[in-house]
Amino acid sequence: MQRTNGLTRRAVMAMGAGLASFATLSAGGAGAATRGGKLIYARYADSLLLDPVWTDANVDIWVSSSIYETLLFPTDDGRDVKPGLASKWELSDAGKTITLTLRDGVKFSDGAAMKAADVKFSLDRARNPKNGAWADMVGSIDSIEIKEPSTVVLKLKHPDPTLLPALAMFNTGILPEGPYMATPGKDDEERYKAFAEHPIGTGPFMMTAWQRGQKMTFKRNPHYWATAADGQKLPLLDEIEFQIIPEDSTRLLKLKAGEIDGTEFVPFSRVKELQADSNLRMELWPSTKVVYVVLMCKDKLWNGSDNPLSNKKVRQALNYAVNKEAVIAITTLGLGKPLQSFMSSATPLNIMGGPLYPYNLAKAKALMAEAGFASGFEASVMMTAGNQDSTNNLTAIQQMWSQIGVRLKIEQLDNPTNTKRYRAEDFQMRHGGWTDDIADPSEITSYFAHFPNVHSLHSGWKNDKVSALYLASQEEVDPAKRKAQYKELQEIYIEEAPILFLFETPYPVVWRKNVTGFVQIPLGNNFFEKISK
Amino acid sequence: MSRGTWLISRLLQMLPTFLLIGIAVFVLARLLPGNAVEAMLGERGTDEAVARLTARLGLDKSIFAQLMAFLEGVMSGRLGDSLAFRIPVTRLIGERLPVTMMLTGLAVAFALTAAVPLAFVAALNANRWPDLLIRGVFQVGLSSPIFYVGLVLLTVFAAWLRLFPVGGYGDTLGEHIYHLFLPAMTLGLSFAAIVMRNLRASILGVIHAEYVDFARAKGLRGSVVLLRHVMRNALIATVTLVGLEIGSLLGGAVITETVFAVPGVGRLMVDSIFARDYPVIQALTLVLAVFVSLAFLVTDIVQMWLDPRVGR
Amino acid sequence: MKRPPAPLLGGLTILGAMVAFAVAPGLFVPYDPLAFDFTALLAPPSWAHPFGADQFGRDLLSRSIAATAIDLQIALFATIFPGTLGTLIGLLVGWYGGIADAIFGRLVDLVVTFPFLVLVIAIVAILGPGLANMYIAVTIVGWVSYARLMRSEVMVQKNGEYVAACKVLGYSTPRILFRHILPNAIRPVLVYAVTAMALAILLGSSLGYLGLGAQPPEAEWGVLIADGKNFFTTAPWIALFPGTVIVIAGLGFSLTGDGLADLLEVKR
Repeated sequence: MQRTNGLTRRAVMAMGAGLASFATLSAGGAGAATRGGKLIYARYADSLLLDPVWTDANVDIWVSSSIYETLLFPTDDGRDVKPGLASKWELSDAGKTITLTLRDGVKFSDGAAMKAADVKFSLDRARNPKNGAWADMVGSIDSIEIKEPSTVVLKLKHPDPTLLPALAMFNTGILPEGPYMATPGKDDEERYKAFAEHPIGTGPFMMTAWQRGQKMTFKRNPHYWATAADGQKLPLLDEIEFQIIPEDSTRLLKLKAGEIDGTEFVPFSRVKELQADSNLRMELWPSTKVVYVVLMCKDKLWNGSDNPLSNKKVRQALNYAVNKEAVIAITTLGLGKPLQSFMSSATPLNIMGGPLYPYNLAKAKALMAEAGFASGFEASVMMTAGNQDSTNNLTAIQQMWSQIGVRLKIEQLDNPTNTKRYRAEDFQMRHGGWTDDIADPSEITSYFAHFPNVHSLHSGWKNDKVSALYLASQEEVDPAKRKAQYKELQEIYIEEAPILFLFETPYPVVWRKNVTGFVQIPLGNNFFEKISK
Repeated sequence: MSRGTWLISRLLQMLPTFLLIGIAVFVLARLLPGNAVEAMLGERGTDEAVARLTARLGLDKSIFAQLMAFLEGVMSGRLGDSLAFRIPVTRLIGERLPVTMMLTGLAVAFALTAAVPLAFVAALNANRWPDLLIRGVFQVGLSSPIFYVGLVLLTVFAAWLRLFPVGGYGDTLGEHIYHLFLPAMTLGLSFAAIVMRNLRASILGVIHAEYVDFARAKGLRGSVVLLRHVMRNALIATVTLVGLEIGSLLGGAVITETVFAVPGVGRLMVDSIFARDYPVIQALTLVLAVFVSLAFLVTDIVQMWLDPRVGR
Repeated sequence: MKRPPAPLLGGLTILGAMVAFAVAPGLFVPYDPLAFDFTALLAPPSWAHPFGADQFGRDLLSRSIAATAIDLQIALFATIFPGTLGTLIGLLVGWYGGIADAIFGRLVDLVVTFPFLVLVIAIVAILGPGLANMYIAVTIVGWVSYARLMRSEVMVQKNGEYVAACKVLGYSTPRILFRHILPNAIRPVLVYAVTAMALAILLGSSLGYLGLGAQPPEAEWGVLIADGKNFFTTAPWIALFPGTVIVIAGLGFSLTGDGLADLLEVKR
């Protein structure tokens, strides 16, 4: 993919510099990058399924963009879209028609040219409500027409400012209609499983072997369409081997021993040490990852007892009583940044009004007293067992809240139990993390603030004004008006504090020094095609 | 009872146990709070999405229907697809089982290689310094948590000294052994301690037994006596222990595989429990149960072969 | 009985120290084990912090000492519960035999063919993490070893002359079982129980390591090691000292177990 020109790379660098300095990414135009070779990249967990619409997890989404590509691509800063498999697009009919011109010379990895029919097939599959969890993201599409061999027209039910970003989202990845439908299987259920075993897409790599939970092999797609700035055909690597190594410490030991070329999800506690290692290069990519604690806002807890957190003042007090800078220092060793909204600063339309609820113990105590809890209360928080970062955050918060009399009990639950409990709204507080999938604030807002979707992260917090603003913004094509709607919505949310605002963190990725050219965008997607070693 | 009919009756006896285990693990898996779909969708799981995926994976059928489908599948050799990976469970387990077999086998081999000679040294020097030293070292081994031993070995031998790879499994037999060397040492340590201790005691027992004195009196040289009489008894004790401990070795494999990033069934089992991947949990438990039962059976057979007194 | 052997004395000394740490940790801890100290984040071992400090600046010597109570509790409860249950079942099954014995055999087959740790993890996942649920899990799985030991011992004892004598004297079955057979048959079980305490500590710390055992901020040795594993190359003391403490504690139990076995002349 045509992903890094000089300008956006500098933009990425500038954002990175705010988090921590990292070494120059690649030599840029200085001489041709080496071609060929095999890269070994260690991941913390394996992918599950490589199908755009049936994919559920970041472990799939973040690598699938190397296989399936979308009509538009997210920009490197994650805030906008740029041409992808469509070289240009046009809005007309007051935003209700989108005309997309397909890029010339795009071929699937089986050598067949990508046709408009493939695009229509893929988008129809993506918006079919029977398929997967993501159909709503392109739910505003009413019909798809093929105008000319290389022109596809989308007719919308209503103007939708989120549709262009949605066309850059993994679930609208383009598959070849012919081979997909020719896949043996009596129904789509059997077909998608079989197709995903040997996926065909237009992306820079092809998945050629996969031993689940052990390793996955990507080979270079010889038919890939994009070229590097120096005219070399992409991708530069011949092969990528993904090894699955869940233990953080083991991944890093392997990297230091030179058994692997790079790895993701470096614990923040190790970043300084790795930065100091002259054989390695530590990269901290700006991200949409936000870390927070969901506060139950309903009057009664699941067991029927009174819930002090239903009082806004208590929720504000809890926010004031946490020294975020100290938590950031402990958990991320200073690499995180305090939240300025519920969404990350890399999410478009964040109000960016400075850190929220600056640490103020006196104010917190006063608010607790006003709410009638001068002597505090017992509370419980749940987290996923074994997650060191959550443990660190909650241990620090437990200590800080004891200053205002809140005696916090930490419950570690395994992931499905934790999920079941919060879906049943059987919790008082829960530790959470989120990354966006789309270069637009609508996704995170629908989950965090718009009650009808998932009861505002299952907190039960309901605000009609916020929901009205959100729904209006979903059809608002005037960027200035939409920005104003998002400003008001975020201000209400912050004031109401249905979550404890903690911090946002970058994506920490570390490489052997000789590996250059990796890109991870704020949405998390990994791009390997410009890597050389 | 002839040995043939004994063997057949033993095998037949196993079948109801497997059926019980199958039902037990099915029930156990459904008792686990939460389910695969919620766990997979996580924070993004709207009620609609959860319902759709639940239906898609066939989890909306009644529990009883699912149990019947599972038992029917087991009878006909179909164990279903993994909910998480959407590929047949048999393939998933087939890729991983050899790894764990190899790890456990190597661990036993290491343990025996270290423990058997040292047990002789210790027994022949009973209560003198070599004995005390050997017992002391193994005692420490027996008292060390597997994950801790793994962490230390990994750091010292793989990270600092670079003698072994940090993790993984490799592609060829040689690479497998090379990659599994440290994990097998870690896993085998406490087993070695148990073997050493039992063997030492059994050798001491034999040395003081009358028939050894008698053999010696007949003029056989001391070392020959040891080899003939001690070895047989030692072997019986060791074989029994391998059978007894195979379950805890497999349990230890779970932790070892996690620490060393070895892609075996131990880690698959834990991952599947944490993902509520019912078909994998069920199939894997059955496979391990068959494996452990066969290990018990082999133990009995070897015992019978080595020691005719143990016949039935 | 022989003179108490040296390993037994060594083991008892370690256990004595553990009991002292558990009963009155306040006498031994130099710092509050839960207090953060931002001036001592990841401090290496020194006179002020002999075991160093963790990422919150908490003193690791204090935390290791404070953890003793929990680990000792794990050792005791994870042995007493399955031990009592197993002993009772073994006693009854060994005495009555017949159908009870056949059912027992099936149950044992069932439990032993599941890998122990996996079964415990599954049960803890069902019941939720935490020490109480861990004890339930260990009891469900662990009673088998005790029951087997007890059963075989009872089967030997019930043919003893004293049992025949009791029967002649017309003693009730419960009286024969609990007053006469139990005291004679319990020795191997007791010896096994002491060794099993070492295994219980290892199990407790393994679950703690996986995040399913003791819950923060409580200090438990396995949790301390888990906390330290990411710092193992940069701040090895965080995991190293609690690890050594576990080894010493395990040594205390197994030496005591061995010593008792020698002393009571139990064959193992």
